[in-house]
Amino acid sequence: MGGQACVFYGAAEFSRDTDFAILADAANLVRLRTALADLQADVVAVPPFELKYLRRGHAIHFRCQHPEAPGMRVDVMSVMRGVDPFSKLWRRRTTIELPHGTTCDLLALPDLVQAKKTQRDKDWPMIRRLVEAHYFQHRGRPTTAQITFWLRELRTPALLVEIAGRRTGLCRRLIPKRPLLAAAAARQVDELERALREEETAERERDKRHWLPLRKELEKLRHTTARRAQGV
Amino acid sequence: MIQPEHFVEDEWVEWYRLTPVRRWLESEKLWQTYLALGGSLDPEPDTQSPFFDARAPRARPAHGRTGVRVLRRGGV
Repeated sequence: MGGQACVFYGAAEFSRDTDFAILADAANLVRLRTALADLQADVVAVPPFELKYLRRGHAIHFRCQHPEAPGMRVDVMSVMRGVDPFSKLWRRRTTIELPHGTTCDLLALPDLVQAKKTQRDKDWPMIRRLVEAHYFQHRGRPTTAQITFWLRELRTPALLVEIAGRRTGLCRRLIPKRPLLAAAAARQVDELERALREEETAERERDKRHWLPLRKELEKLRHTTARRAQGV
Repeated sequence: MIQPEHFVEDEWVEWYRLTPVRRWLESEKLWQTYLALGGSLDPEPDTQSPFFDARAPRARPAHGRTGVRVLRRGGV
């Protein structure tokens, strides 16, 4: 769901770890443990590899020791802020087949965009690129669903103005959900840029607030682990 | 109609014009080059990540030496 999905959809991220969104249930965890054993992967850092942490929204971090992937990091998550439950993600997934026959299941683009709305600087240019690439790829004969997606997620002022000018009715209907579309419809580019910055800041604040209790829990786990290691 | 070259650099225009699968395959080539040059698979620390732990130990490079180091520094 991470760097390679971004590459596929049109952004460019050279991500050295591999992120997986998984279904957090007991049977699937057994399968995951088998796959990780094949990769000779060990948990690094906290939290431990347990269902309850995945269900609370933590990521579990692994490092592989398999000779074909020495040191490769694997991160596993099941619950992401603002992102639908796994069952819905799975129904909407994109499946690709690579030339050598391997298939990969990727988050659908709208889900990837939601997952990228984090507190980190680097995720926001990524969202912009992802939606731009999708826009340029499909704008010839777009569906209403695609136009709605662009109006809700584009972060490029010029493109928002362009599409708001062509789809005035749909744009007007979406203003309650994304107020900055009013500036796009009025072709107020400066105002639109300011509103996009505000939108990003607000979302990043929401992500920080979401992670506050989880970070406290991680800190507590680190402390406990360190004390255990010291034999205290 | 706005064209990508109106607001992104040429290399981005080229990247956008590739099919998704082509982009994936191009990134695989980049990976092969990176690994052939001895690139590490250990992620860079991300201080903005909620998972960041400044005290966490990091893996050593497979070749056992330190990573990039400055051999000569400019005057400024």
